Amino acid sequence: MTLRGFKGMCLALLLCVSTAASAHRFHFGMTDISYNERTKSTEIVHTYTAHDIEALLLNLYQRQFDLSDPEDQDVLRKYVERQFWLAAQDATRLPARWIGMTVDANSVVIYQEIENTPLSRLATIRQGVLIDFLPEQINTVNLNQGGAVRSLTFTRQALEQPAQ
Amino acid sequence: MILRPIACVLAALFATSPVHADDFQLQRVLVEGARASQLGIADSAGAGSAGARELAGRIAYRPGELLEVTPGLIASQHSGEGKANQFYLRGFNLDHGTDLATWVDGMPVNQRSHAHGQGWTDLNFLIPELVGRLDYRKGPYSAREGDFSSAGVASLTYANRLVKDIASVTAGQDGYRRAMIAGSPEVAGGSLLYALEAMHNDGPWTRPDDYRKFNAVLRYSRGFANNGWSVTAMGYRGEWNATDQIPLRAVRDGRIGRFDLVDDSDGGQARRLSLSGIWRRTDADSASKVSAYAIRNQLELFSNFTYFLDNPVDGDQFAQPDRRVTTGLDATHTWHMHRSAQLSSDLTVGAQLQNDNIFNGLYDTRRRQRIATTREDHIVETSGAVFIESATRWSDALRTVAGVRASNYRFRVDGDRPENAGTAHDTLVTPTLNIVYGPWASTELYANYGQGFHSNDARGTVATVDPKTLDAVDPTPGLVRSRGYEFGIRTEAIPKMQTSLAVYRLDFDSELTYIGDAGNTEAGDPSRRYGIEFSNYYRPLKWLSIDLDAAWARARSCAHSCERHSDNRIPGAIEGVAQLGVTVDPSGPSSGSLRLRWFGPRPLIEDDSVRSNASLTLNGRIGYRLANDLRLELEGFNLTNRRASAIDYFYESQLQGEAAPVADVHFHPIEPRSLRLTLVKQW
Repeated sequence: MTLRGFKGMCLALLLCVSTAASAHRFHFGMTDISYNERTKSTEIVHTYTAHDIEALLLNLYQRQFDLSDPEDQDVLRKYVERQFWLAAQDATRLPARWIGMTVDANSVVIYQEIENTPLSRLATIRQGVLIDFLPEQINTVNLNQGGAVRSLTFTRQALEQPAQ
Repeated sequence: MILRPIACVLAALFATSPVHADDFQLQRVLVEGARASQLGIADSAGAGSAGARELAGRIAYRPGELLEVTPGLIASQHSGEGKANQFYLRGFNLDHGTDLATWVDGMPVNQRSHAHGQGWTDLNFLIPELVGRLDYRKGPYSAREGDFSSAGVASLTYANRLVKDIASVTAGQDGYRRAMIAGSPEVAGGSLLYALEAMHNDGPWTRPDDYRKFNAVLRYSRGFANNGWSVTAMGYRGEWNATDQIPLRAVRDGRIGRFDLVDDSDGGQARRLSLSGIWRRTDADSASKVSAYAIRNQLELFSNFTYFLDNPVDGDQFAQPDRRVTTGLDATHTWHMHRSAQLSSDLTVGAQLQNDNIFNGLYDTRRRQRIATTREDHIVETSGAVFIESATRWSDALRTVAGVRASNYRFRVDGDRPENAGTAHDTLVTPTLNIVYGPWASTELYANYGQGFHSNDARGTVATVDPKTLDAVDPTPGLVRSRGYEFGIRTEAIPKMQTSLAVYRLDFDSELTYIGDAGNTEAGDPSRRYGIEFSNYYRPLKWLSIDLDAAWARARSCAHSCERHSDNRIPGAIEGVAQLGVTVDPSGPSSGSLRLRWFGPRPLIEDDSVRSNASLTLNGRIGYRLANDLRLELEGFNLTNRRASAIDYFYESQLQGEAAPVADVHFHPIEPRSLRLTLVKQW
C-alpha cells in the first residue's frame, strides 16, 4: 500500500469509528520501521494504546504497573521482545536494541533500533504484540524505504510475514 | 525517523468514546505512578483496591495486617500468633472475622459454625509476596457478596506470574526467623507458580510462642487472567503456644508480669490444605467466570480465659477442636449491552454453592488433656445463592448498580445431645442499589443502599438446651439481616490527591457478640451504627506519598428496636481508627516509610462504665538496594515502645489464691519495640 492509500484507509477508519458510536473498541498497533542514514541503523517505533497495554499486563501478572518505572518497563520489554522480532535471510534474528519508551494517558510508544543494519537485510517480520491477548488486534507495520512506505497487516492469522 | 502516518492512525484510535465494550471487566492500571484512580470504577466511597507495590510497602507484623490497607480496618491479636486475628472495622469488634468476609483467590477464608467463633478468619496461610492485589468494599451494597460481608469484604488475589523470582531471609528480635522462595517458570505453555515459606516467632512473651509455620503454594495457569484457567494447591501448618489475655489486677499488684501468662499450656495447631481452580472467558460482549474449591481445615485450640473460676482444682482450660471440609462452586456470567454512545449496561447473573462438613466440639481440659465434654457435634451446613446485578451507565454523569440476591441455608446438626440436634433452614432475599453521580471531571457522589446478612452458628439454630447450664434456650434464626445506608464523595479535584468521604448507617437485626469468658459468639439484640470515614492519598512528588485515613463510629445495641433511643454500648465496638503513612522512595538506593496508627477507644461493657484506652503505635521501614537484584530491609515495630493493649475485655475471672470471682479488665499487650532485618534477592 502506498502512503496515499494508507492515509485514505486511516481517514475511512476515522470516519467509521466516530460515526458508529463505537459499539466495540478497535485494537490497533502501529510499528514504523525505517533506516536512518546518519546513524546507519534501522529504527523501530511502536505505538499501542495505553489501555490495551495496561489490560495486557494486568491480565498477565494480576497486578498494577507503573510504566514510568524502569523495573516495570522491563516487564513490558520482555513481552515485546518475545512477540516482535525481525529476521535476516539466513533466518537469524536481528538484534533489536531496546532504547526506551514513553507513556501518556493514551498511548505507549516504544523505541528500538538495529545497529549497522540496512532495511534490505530484513527478510521476515513477526509482529504478535497484543495479538495473543486480544483476538481482534490488528498490527500495522510500515516499512519506510527511501520515503516509500509499504504497509503490512498482522493479525492472529498472519503473525509472520516476509519483509521484502 | 518518519512518523507521518502515525498521527493519522492515532486520531482514529483515540476518537472512540471513553466507554468500550471490553472495558467492563478491567480495573484501571497504573501508568502515572500513583495509586490507581477509583473514579468511574468504584460504586461507593468505601470501595477500593491496593496493588502489589502498595502491599509490598506495608509494614506488617503478621500477614493479617495486610488487610489494614483497607481504610479504617485494624487487625490485632489477643493470643498466640497461630490463632486467627482479631479484626475491627466500621464500629465493629469483628472478633475473628464475623461480618468481614475475606477471600483468597476465590476461596472463602471465613469458617462458619466454627468451634471458637463464627466466621473464623485465619490468614496465616497467606504469603504476602504472592499477592497481586487486594480489593475491598465496605458496607452491604453488593448483591455479589453474601455471608459475613455487612461491615466489609476483603478479597486477595495471588498472581499467576511473578515479575521476578524471589527469595528472602529475615531475622528479627524475639526469635523471629523467616525464609521464603517463590518463582513462576514457564512450563508447557503456561506458568507454574511455586512458593515455599518457613517461619518461626516467639514474640516478647515470658513463655515463648514458639510459633512454627510452613506454607506452600503450587499453581499452574494457562492464558491470561481474563481468558484462561488456573489450578492451585495450597498447604499450611502451624503450631504455637499461646499467651492469652491476662487480668489487669494481677499485673498491677505484681503477681504476674506484663508479658506473663496464667495457663502455660494454652496454644494450638492449625492445618489447611486446599485445591482450587478458576476459569474465565472474556470477549467484547460477555464475560464468564467459574471457580471451584475444596478446603480441608483442622484446628486444635486450647484456651483459658477465666483461669480457676469454674473449676478451682483443674482450672478452666477448654479445647475447641474443629475439622472440616469446605467445598464450593461460584459462577458468574456478564452480558455487556451497548445501547448507544452514552447508554451501556452490564447484566450479571451468578450462583454460589458451598457445603461445610464439620466436626467440632467444646471440651474441658487440663493441660490439654480432656476431662469433660460440653458438646460434640457433626454439622453439615449447605448454602446456595443466586444473584442478579445490573450496572448501567445512563450518561457520562450517571451510573447505577442495582442487584438482588437470594440466599438459602440448610443447617444439619447431629451431636452428642439429641435435644440439640436437628435440621433448620433459612432463606433471605437482599436487594442493593448504588447510584453514582459525577457531572464533573474529577468528583463523584455516591448514594448506596443495601441489605446484607450473616449466618448464625448452626448449633444455635437447632438448640433447645444450654449444654453447660442445661437451661432451656430458644433457637436462633439461621440468617440475620443487615441494612446499610451511605452517602459518599470521592474527588481528585486537588492535583495528585485522592480523597473520599463516607457517612453511613448500618442496622443489624441481631448483633453477634463475643463472650470472652465462654470462648464463643452469641446472637444478641439488634444494633445500629453511624459512622464517618475519611480517606486521603497524596503524592505531591514522584518519590513521596502520604496517606491519611480517619474513621469514627457510634455503635449502640437496642433492646427491642433501634427506632427508640438507646445508650447500650456494644462491648469492644471500636469508636475510631486513624492511620498516617509517609513513604519516601527517591531514585537512589534508599527508601523508607513510617506509619502511625491510632487504635481508638472501645467500651468494654454495655453501660460504658469500663472502657479501653486508645493506643498510638509507630512502625517504620528502611530499604537499601545493595545491587540491582539484592535489597536489604529493616522493619521496626512499635518504634516509640508504647505500652498499650492489643485488646481488652471486661469479665469475671478467678486466679489461684483468690477467694471469689473478680470482675476485671483482661488485656493482651501490644508487642514492645522490635526489629526485623530482611535480605531479598530477586532475579
